[in-house]
Amino acid sequence: MSYSKARSPGAGEKAISAAALVVLASVLAGVCLRQRVFDPAVLAASAAGAPAPGVRAQGLLASWPDGLSPMGAQEAFGPDTLSDKIDGKADLYLSAGFVSLKAQRVGLAGSPPAWMEAFVFDMGNPSNAFSVFSSQRRPKAADAAIADYSYEADNELCIVHGRYYAEFVCSDRAQSTMRAAEALARSFVAATAVTEHANVGAEEAFFPSEGQIAGTVALVPSDVFGSDKLSNVFIARYRDGAGEVTLFAARRATAQEAARQAQELRSFFVDDCGGKAAAAPAAPLGASLVELEGRYEAVFSSGPYLGGVHQAADRQSAERWLSVIAARLANGPQ
Amino acid sequence: MSPEQPIPQGLSQTRREFLRRSAQAGAAIAAAGSLSAWLLDRHPPGDFSRMRSLDARRDFSMRSPGPSMGIATGRDRPAMLRGALAALGGIERFIKRGDRVMVKVNAAFATPAMIGATTNPELLSELVRLCRAAGAASVVVTDNPINAPESCFELTGIGPAARASGADLYVPGPGSFRSGTLKGASLIRDWPVLDEPFFGVTKLIGVAPVKSHHRAGASMTMKNWYGLLGGRRNQFHQDIDGIIVELSMMVRPTLVVLDGTDSMMANGPTGGSLADLKETNTLIVSTDGVAADALGATLLGRTYRDLPYLVRAGALGLGTTDYESLRPVRVAPANA
Repeated sequence: MSYSKARSPGAGEKAISAAALVVLASVLAGVCLRQRVFDPAVLAASAAGAPAPGVRAQGLLASWPDGLSPMGAQEAFGPDTLSDKIDGKADLYLSAGFVSLKAQRVGLAGSPPAWMEAFVFDMGNPSNAFSVFSSQRRPKAADAAIADYSYEADNELCIVHGRYYAEFVCSDRAQSTMRAAEALARSFVAATAVTEHANVGAEEAFFPSEGQIAGTVALVPSDVFGSDKLSNVFIARYRDGAGEVTLFAARRATAQEAARQAQELRSFFVDDCGGKAAAAPAAPLGASLVELEGRYEAVFSSGPYLGGVHQAADRQSAERWLSVIAARLANGPQ
Repeated sequence: MSPEQPIPQGLSQTRREFLRRSAQAGAAIAAAGSLSAWLLDRHPPGDFSRMRSLDARRDFSMRSPGPSMGIATGRDRPAMLRGALAALGGIERFIKRGDRVMVKVNAAFATPAMIGATTNPELLSELVRLCRAAGAASVVVTDNPINAPESCFELTGIGPAARASGADLYVPGPGSFRSGTLKGASLIRDWPVLDEPFFGVTKLIGVAPVKSHHRAGASMTMKNWYGLLGGRRNQFHQDIDGIIVELSMMVRPTLVVLDGTDSMMANGPTGGSLADLKETNTLIVSTDGVAADALGATLLGRTYRDLPYLVRAGALGLGTTDYESLRPVRVAPANA
């Protein structure tokens, strides 16, 4: 028998090795090729097969008012999943600083068909909570005198409690059901400590009460009048002859910032919306008037305040309401 | 070789080398095996053969002579539906004996029917009854509410209404979707679309309420097809007009029914309060979803020009925004 110290591989071995390497390279290329294109179906199927991520065993309340009991587990949603619950309305909350949503359906004892769903939105701070509350406030809704702000509209009860905005949507508008919703809301408030309460009294004072349509003071968190440069502006609607007009106001950190934003809003109406700059009104000094699709927009700044008139029916109306809001801001909110 | 023979130096080195290499190879195999075991998904999402992207088009349109839009006024939805269909020549013009009908409802939210965020159960019942009376072999009712589908169907009354009227309720599950691509689309590409309940279906009817929509401006019959999408579809909200237009390219229904008996004027698409609703007393049945929605926009105090997706759909020829050009037949059914 002979031995060799170092034997070179034969032609057959080389061929087998090469073939094995080719197969491995092909597998690798196939895997890379397949994974190159993201297939959302995989994600969808994975998600669909998994338990609902938002479901939590713990209820909205540790103890429930008499006659009320949870119909199922509490659901929880974050910014990435909010639209799973409320679809296209998610943007309203997301643009106002949404943090989380907890939702739970609650049944009424003794009334099998009656039920309600409680939605508790953590909006991060009281101002944000007031923003989503005020922007959805139903006309002619009755003050419910619960928490910081509240109203009751037919089958729904809405409240602001510190950083929380809560809705209680009932399956009917029977008195018994609505009183149960009120009991649930009060229990939530009692069980939920907040460090700061919502209070926009100072901002409401921007707007005179004469002619104001009740319940229309609202905080617009973003995209004010369609401008993505303007945010956190208070508005109020007024009767104006047979129609309506909107006044707006906001306090900024400095007079320069208020003036800059007034100029940006004017530019938005003219440059982005195709409005036509009209002759400046006599007062206040520096105010701008823009004709836009047959209606008038007025913008001004006064010290740290930004204000104006939105969608006045004509120039005279715009100037008249401009003088009202300008006088209010010039004297400082009452 | 006998034991007495001296071992050649080269052979001794080859043995050690063999053992060392064997150990290395074993370690490499063990490492690769361990890594593979660690990476293995023991619970794969399903049948991967179904992941192959299919043509997403769903064309159930008919080309039969006759009017293409019926408008009924009143408060009684079943009567208005019958009236509007009669104006188009009756349900028999669209549903033939043996047809397998799918009714795509709006069951997006687990809310009470009275707040108008979902398809009205009475309207659905009557539609199913009419289809069955026309000889439909089967009627399946479906939608894809992402959150808690069973609750959505039950609490809206849609599930009980479907079952009571003789329809099958299809609640989508993980195996209901296939990755689909719409030719010419930029958004619906390799996207999970509802597929399984379409098997054998010969006619498709969409039934939707008239609602304001915070993002799209309005949600009516065209937006209703959004429920055929699976996956993390909320990303389409970034181009809501684009996805509604592509859905209208993807789906060519036999009929659409737009329920404007009460219209959600504000706080849509979820609503929540009866105060959001206005009695607009109109029900539209049409073969043209664009035309139906253009008319529906007027119930919300708008025109089609206020809704970019309608303008784009009209420009693409997916339907007409000039609904009067269809010469709609208007009826006011007795007792409706």
